[in-house]
Amino acid sequence: MLLDVRDLHVEFRTRDGVAHAVNGVNFAVDAGETLAVLGESGSGKSVTAQAVMGILDVPPGRITAGRILFRGQDLLKLREQERRRVRGAGIAMIFQDALSALNPVLSVGDQLGEMFVVHRGMSRKDARARAVDLMDRVRIPAAAQRVRDYPHQFSGGMRQRIMIAMALSLEPALIIADEPTTALDVTVQAQVMELLAELQREYRMGLILITHDLGVVADVADRIAVMYAGKIVESAPVRDLYKAPAHPYTRGLLDSVPRLDRKGQELYAIKGLPPNLMRVPPGCSFHPRCPMAQDVCRTDEPPLYPVSDGRGSACHFWRECLHGPDH
Amino acid sequence: MRDQPQQPEGAIAGTGMGGAMDLGASEAVTLERTPGGPAGTGPAGRPRSLWSDAWRDLRRNPVFLLSALVILFLVFISLWPSAIASGSPLTCDLAKAQDGAAPGAPFGYDGQGCNVYTRTVYGARASVTVGLCATLGVALLGSVLGGLAGYFGGVWDSVLSRVTDIFFAIPVVLGGLVLLSVVTSNTVWPVVGFMVLLGWPQISRIARGAVITAKQNDYVQAARALGASDSRILLRHIAPNAVAPVIVVATIALGTYIALEATLSYLGVGLKPPSVSWGIDISAASPYIRNAPHALLWPAGALALTVLAFIMLGDAVRDALDPKLR
Amino acid sequence: MGRYVLRRLLQMIPVFIGATLLIFLMVNVMGDPVAGLCGERACDPATAAALRREFGLDKPLWQQYLTYMAKVFTGDFGTAFNGQPVTELMATAFPVTVRLTVVAIVFEIVIGVTLGVVTGLKRGRPADTAVLLATLVVISVPTFVTGLMLQLLLGIKWHWIRPSVRYGTLDELIVPGLVLASVSLAYVTRLTRTSIAENKRSDYVRTAIAKGLPRHRVITRHLLRNSLIPVVTFIGTDIGALMGGAIVTERIFNIHGVGYQLYQGILRQNTQTVVGFVTVLVLVFLVANLLVDLLYAVLDPRIRYA
Repeated sequence: MLLDVRDLHVEFRTRDGVAHAVNGVNFAVDAGETLAVLGESGSGKSVTAQAVMGILDVPPGRITAGRILFRGQDLLKLREQERRRVRGAGIAMIFQDALSALNPVLSVGDQLGEMFVVHRGMSRKDARARAVDLMDRVRIPAAAQRVRDYPHQFSGGMRQRIMIAMALSLEPALIIADEPTTALDVTVQAQVMELLAELQREYRMGLILITHDLGVVADVADRIAVMYAGKIVESAPVRDLYKAPAHPYTRGLLDSVPRLDRKGQELYAIKGLPPNLMRVPPGCSFHPRCPMAQDVCRTDEPPLYPVSDGRGSACHFWRECLHGPDH
Repeated sequence: MRDQPQQPEGAIAGTGMGGAMDLGASEAVTLERTPGGPAGTGPAGRPRSLWSDAWRDLRRNPVFLLSALVILFLVFISLWPSAIASGSPLTCDLAKAQDGAAPGAPFGYDGQGCNVYTRTVYGARASVTVGLCATLGVALLGSVLGGLAGYFGGVWDSVLSRVTDIFFAIPVVLGGLVLLSVVTSNTVWPVVGFMVLLGWPQISRIARGAVITAKQNDYVQAARALGASDSRILLRHIAPNAVAPVIVVATIALGTYIALEATLSYLGVGLKPPSVSWGIDISAASPYIRNAPHALLWPAGALALTVLAFIMLGDAVRDALDPKLR
Repeated sequence: MGRYVLRRLLQMIPVFIGATLLIFLMVNVMGDPVAGLCGERACDPATAAALRREFGLDKPLWQQYLTYMAKVFTGDFGTAFNGQPVTELMATAFPVTVRLTVVAIVFEIVIGVTLGVVTGLKRGRPADTAVLLATLVVISVPTFVTGLMLQLLLGIKWHWIRPSVRYGTLDELIVPGLVLASVSLAYVTRLTRTSIAENKRSDYVRTAIAKGLPRHRVITRHLLRNSLIPVVTFIGTDIGALMGGAIVTERIFNIHGVGYQLYQGILRQNTQTVVGFVTVLVLVFLVANLLVDLLYAVLDPRIRYA
């Protein structure tokens, strides 16, 4: 197993109280596998990614429990110096908004080359040559000239390609992409996603794709983990999940995607708002918004019930949900 | 998704003593008012307005309470100095020159044998008067000129911008020396007039920016589309939203005007004896600094405390009014 | 870039004319330029009239201004009260004040930026709070009080320095330079702190950490470079303000620089000295601002290519 996250808890201590952002998350990613982590904003998906990457803001953030095993080694037990060597070289990250994630006052060549200078001890000249190679790899036209340009001189799609190139530079075993296409135009989204998937296959990397966009997930992911209020509520192979969700929240998400074959019908929306992470509801945290909620949901927190091989759902009524009227 | 909370910044804006009164622009206070309702929400607006939120914050802020208390005390002693100091600040006894603390004179006597305590208490009036009047004048002139330029734009805006540039190019203390050196009047008004003359561009810049920001709000566009007149839009919709940054910068500037008055008096061109002012006393005490440092330290301490109180007050108000820092 | 420089240069012209005209008016309207020419006594009417004619003071003010500026551009700044050309006074006064300003700027950079970076990185810790309080106090105490206090403590009580400056050499100017810098120093500290603290949370710093860069490289190469842009702007703009504001510091420490000459000129109502010195100060201010703008464009590529 490439990455194995066990019972991860993250909290944020603020002036107004303690926010429980991640509450016991378990997941694993294999080499060459793509895991999509799906959820609304505030579900804890980005915090989970930051915790794995080791770029959580501490304080106010704090990992209170859990293990993050990367190639069998617990990253949380490493010293900062060793942890740093894993970042970029072992696990790399692609951020959502490349314009703000790239340094505005350094040329893209400097920012790409920096990886080789720091991690591989290359000379600036060699690093620059590698930067041009990388930009070629992610299909940026006229890479040799554009290597001197600054981030603001590129289009949104090109900037995101540079982010991808930066993440790929040291051929890491795992890439975490946090909403990599959200900030892009729809037409460019597909190109960037395709490029990412292609490079992942080529290098046989593990990929964790964090998104709230079900459309993106269906094309590229092998497995999906759906997060709600800091927990994984359903984890399944992508085909199974799309065919029949085993959690009412997943079903709500799927039903709220506009579909051509249901043109004219009213679009479904999950009622209510995501929970306040300082006051997560007792029992199943989804129960105030759940159409299937019973009394037991208000008191007993559901474990991740095994649904089938490699599939789990944190719903007391996963059977009813799986064989629901619509599916 | 950013989970970390934002904490208020500790930076302050203000006017510097050394040069042009433009230091405020470096940490420019650009308070973006959260858009209010379509019908102009004034300072006494609805329950959850910016102002009531700010007031709730301020009431619990010890820095605000402390500085407000100091300022109230200063206003009190400038109105009724005789309430806490006996005797006249002008009755001096050369025989007691440079003496230390004595009954009735807890701060001792200065080089002319004047009671330092009495003089320090009475000196508050000049500082508070100059500070308040200059700030009022600067705020009125600056916000009217800046506000109109920002609202109407065009040629007048360009002309005003160039004019403010010109004023910023003239060092303040220098301008004060040139303008005030020939004034013979021994009242606070020439000093106040000079501060208004050189101080308005700072507020004008702030007001202009705030009005331009407020002008772009949707409800202002809506009011315009509904045919509201310019004066109505300016007074009902824009002014209430643009006034916050002006208040903040003006409060901090008040402190620096008090310091400026003292500096000018120290250089001999501000207030002149027999006026009673901290700047005059500090200047008069500096030749005796070796033997009677107390005559310098007390008025200097009072001056510093006053300036500090106004700067901290402005700082606290700014933190409370800036929704971005919440 | 070239167009940008040209535009900034053109914008300087009206400001230069306006500021010098303003000072010219202030000096002429407020004082009688002839009054200072007859020494301590008042001039008798005939001499005064002759002097007026000689200096062209009987002409309208705008004509006087034009004549004066025409002379200034040929390097003739007129005559000071003691019969010396104003340019000679400048030649002795400006080097001293420039040295004083340099000392002040060095203090701003070394102490202000360092304190700002340290407190910005350690926001909320006791050291941060202490420095913040200290900057507030420094800003609140007027420069002349700071100066008198340091003179009292270091010069008179502890004998570390001479209370008044004799030759205006760099070592003599250390304490006066610190006094001159004090308020700006506090501003630089606060500005740097705010800027660092803001950028520390920025996405590109997060990216730099995610790239596995060592902490010192994240700070120096990514955080500092961006955070110091506004600080550089402030310090550059401050050069002109410091030179003009040196008047107080120079008086306290008896430094015979620009401030001293100006003070003498004003006391003796010598128009030519005052206008001449102020003209040069305005020019310094404008050139410093222009350089800051250019430097800004060099430091921030987003401006350069705008």
